[in-house]
Amino acid sequence: MQTMPKTLDTCQQEMTVATSRFGKLTIRAENIITMISPFLGFPDSHHFILKPHGTTSPFMWLQSLDEPHLAFVVTSAAVLAPQYKPAIPAPIRQELDATEDGPPLEILLILTIPHGDPLKMTANLLGPVVINTQKRLAKQVVQDPKVFDHCWPVFVEE
Amino acid sequence: MLILTRKLGEAIAVGDEIKIRVLEIKGGQVKIGIEAPNDIAVHREEIYLRIVEENKRAAQETPVDLTSLVSAFSEKKRT
Repeated sequence: MQTMPKTLDTCQQEMTVATSRFGKLTIRAENIITMISPFLGFPDSHHFILKPHGTTSPFMWLQSLDEPHLAFVVTSAAVLAPQYKPAIPAPIRQELDATEDGPPLEILLILTIPHGDPLKMTANLLGPVVINTQKRLAKQVVQDPKVFDHCWPVFVEE
Repeated sequence: MLILTRKLGEAIAVGDEIKIRVLEIKGGQVKIGIEAPNDIAVHREEIYLRIVEENKRAAQETPVDLTSLVSAFSEKKRT
């Protein structure tokens, strides 16, 4: 079941959305990512946009279109931890409208970057963001805590 | 809080679509079966809280300047 947009009229071709970090963004409807269930702790954000930090940067912003202040820094799991294989149960694949012969689901990892000490950056392997990039559907898929860490250090200790 | 007593095999219906059944009681542990629609997320509470807290922390700590971290990322990431 898909949640109906609460604050956004996604029927429009293009829209302007206010964000705290980037000011007003003009967004094309086909670039909007819809959460099939919202991030835990943020029940009011159903729509996001993935905004690259830069052409040579591994980081991306996952900016909420429903809550101007909400943005996560994310990175592709394939880049950060190529061996990382989160479990994505069949019912969730179905919810994400993923097909056997379709393109693989994209896995993003949310980064927590402490203000005072950004090199203590961690990635949340326990709650990866799984995206069907073709259909623009996403979900945070909770993993087994015995297998995956919610604050996995990104950098090696010096 | 609503408190109900159930025996082994008995269930609780929450609305029309959610059933919570006691499947096994053994040595201080209770095995519970939950039937719920796909769009209802069911998690062990401590895991749920861990994710909520980490999501909030990630959202709060988002840095102003990511650019300085780009080179560190390519040079020092673990894998």
